[in-house]
Amino acid sequence: MNINKQKIKEILLITIEDAEANLSKSEQFKELVLQEISAGERKLIISFANVEYVDSSFLGALVAILKSLLPLNGKLVLVEMNNDIENLFQLTRLDKIFVVKDTLETALTEF
Amino acid sequence: MNKSFPIILELETPQHPDDIFSFIKMVLAKILDHKMLDIAHQQKIKMILVELITNSIKHSADQGSQIKLVIDQPSLSIQKFEKGLQIEFSASSQQIPFEEVDKILKISFSEENNHHIQPLDRYKFKFLNPHKEGFDIEHMPEHFGFYIITIASDSFIYQYDPEAKENRYIVNLNI
Repeated sequence: MNINKQKIKEILLITIEDAEANLSKSEQFKELVLQEISAGERKLIISFANVEYVDSSFLGALVAILKSLLPLNGKLVLVEMNNDIENLFQLTRLDKIFVVKDTLETALTEF
Repeated sequence: MNKSFPIILELETPQHPDDIFSFIKMVLAKILDHKMLDIAHQQKIKMILVELITNSIKHSADQGSQIKLVIDQPSLSIQKFEKGLQIEFSASSQQIPFEEVDKILKISFSEENNHHIQPLDRYKFKFLNPHKEGFDIEHMPEHFGFYIITIASDSFIYQYDPEAKENRYIVNLNI
């Protein structure tokens, strides 16, 4: 799982570098992000700018991350999804559960 | 464009997650060779194929599975066949073969992965649309491939053939 981490003030921006966010990466991604939360990160943005598709395993990892973050008064914003991924979130109604923004600029205004 | 329907395509599924996306792009191109589809239908087909194949890789990677596409007017049937044991629900759920086939059942695959199904015969059932129930983050499952297939399709049926020891997943889309 290739990710890039960047700190923007108190916000951690995690950019997924892989094109396929799938079964072979979901568990490792979840652990990487949960480690960041354990280390004290509470304001997270995950960018899908490089991702072509997301499967249910990866969606499950995102759900697990959000479930871990919310009781800690943390916030997670998902950004830069392509049309297919955005459509998946709308169809599954996960767009009602997650905060989804088009751009990094609009995501930053959520905090 | 070929107008002689139905058109049947049979393909072996990939066995590694990182081969799924290129496989799906190839399958979609084959479908589009025969039938023009809008973006919404293309997106649904991609989602369905991703989840059917991911499910095979998770649960029967050694056995392999086959995808059969039946492109017709006005429907597309995406069928997956794989050898092996029948689908098994969690211990609290009624199992296949069903004893009663005339009522809706609530089954689960894990603690937070519940589905309503309609048995069609002792070895066959249809997944029912879960949207009527609503959900929140606390009840959101972390494994919901079948949920995605159900809401992306017009019908999603599972069938087990005990003689052939074959699982059949039949997904239909009105196109």
